[in-house]
Parts: sequence; structure tokens; C-alpha cells
Amino acid sequence: MPSASFKDELLAEIRNLRAFAISLSGSVSLADDLVQESLLRAWSNSEKFQPGTSLRAWLFTILRNIYYSNYRKRAREVQDSDGFYARRLTVPGDQESHLDLEDFRQAMTKLPVEQREVLTLIGASGLSYEEAAVVCQVGIGTIKSRLSRARAKLVELLELDDTADSPVERKVQRVG
Amino acid sequence: MNATRTNKAEALDNAPPDPKALEAIGRALEAHYASLIQAPLPDKFVELLARLERDQAPLTQRRRDALG
Repeated sequence: MPSASFKDELLAEIRNLRAFAISLSGSVSLADDLVQESLLRAWSNSEKFQPGTSLRAWLFTILRNIYYSNYRKRAREVQDSDGFYARRLTVPGDQESHLDLEDFRQAMTKLPVEQREVLTLIGASGLSYEEAAVVCQVGIGTIKSRLSRARAKLVELLELDDTADSPVERKVQRVG
Repeated sequence: MNATRTNKAEALDNAPPDPKALEAIGRALEAHYASLIQAPLPDKFVELLARLERDQAPLTQRRRDALG
């Protein structure tokens, strides 16, 4: 059976796992189902985890597999009724940066899921290119190209590319 | 107008985005993710792991006993 320390290690990863699930599915309720199922699967397959490798990457792989095989279709249906996840999870912050974070979140939802997940894994979850490649089951070259396409698309969506009247400076300050 | 658009589209395809824009995106992404990480966590996950640990211990022991 999984050791007590394995349980503690899982506990320590729940918040990260859930954040990835929300980013992937765009829905808090789906994300919670995904996390629940992933924890169950991780627990019953604990002997397959190789100590010394990244538990986070292993859990993300499990969750992602569950998402793509069972949840991807449901995600589209649920997103509308669930409401945009950011609204349900907004933490109090200063109003000015909150507005721009909303813009950013809206732009994120417009990215293809393959790009959004890579951007999240590398830019936020702290995975290496190699780990992201394992999680997404593609080569490192594909990870890199998805990442640069995701960034270019966000630059376009957030109009950070329009240098005609130098809004970059302005927006960079706003986003920061 | 059209010429400007074409130039912009080409620039977007060929040139990497402005480093400042990338930096802004990186920061926004981190802020967005931090808000997800800090969001209130339902109790059910901690409860699930506690239940799994509690339930599985005797089960495994029983299996071991059965196998002799």
C-alpha cells in the first residue's frame, strides 16, 4: 500500500494539480472531478511512480490522460453553465490589476488547449521542457513550438504587438 | 491601411514578439496561476486521501494474510 509519506506528497501537490486542471478544462467543477479521479488513480497506481522523478509531472500526466479520454467533450458543454471560472475563483486584489488579469484570462481561453496546457506547464507550473514533453506525450521540439505559438497568439489577442502608438509600455505597466 | 496590416501580419509571423510583451505575458500568467493556487480548496480532497489511507490498510493486510 502507498506509504504515509506518499499521501503527504500527494497532499502537497493538490493545489498545483487543481490549478492545472482548471487551466486545462476551464471549469472549476470539472477540475474538481478531475482532481478527485486523478488522486484515486495515483493512489491505486502508486507503485508505478518512480521515486526521484517529479511527482507533479506524474500527477499531471494522469490528470491530462483522464481529461483527454473522458472530459474533453463535457468541458465544452459545462463551460457555459459553469460560468467563467475566474469569476468563481477571483481572490481579492487591487482593482486595477484585476481588470487586466481578466483580459489575460479571457485571452487564455481563446488559445487551443494544446497551446494553453504547454504555456501553463512551462510558464506557471514550473515543469521543465523535458517534463512537459513527457506529460503531453510529444517531443521537446513540439513543446517549444506550441509555447512560442501560444505566446505569439497572446501578444496578438492582448494587442501587445501594436507598436503604432506604443501601447506596449502602457499595457506592460497595467499587466505588471 | 491594407499595407500596414500585411506588414504587421508578416512581422508577427517572422519576428519573435517584443521581449517586453513576453515579459508582461509571463507575469500575467504567474499572477493568474497564483490566484488559482490560492483559491479556497474544497475539503473533499484531503478527506479522500485520509479515507484511502484508512480503508486500504486493512484491505492490503487481509490480502497478504490470504496469500499466506
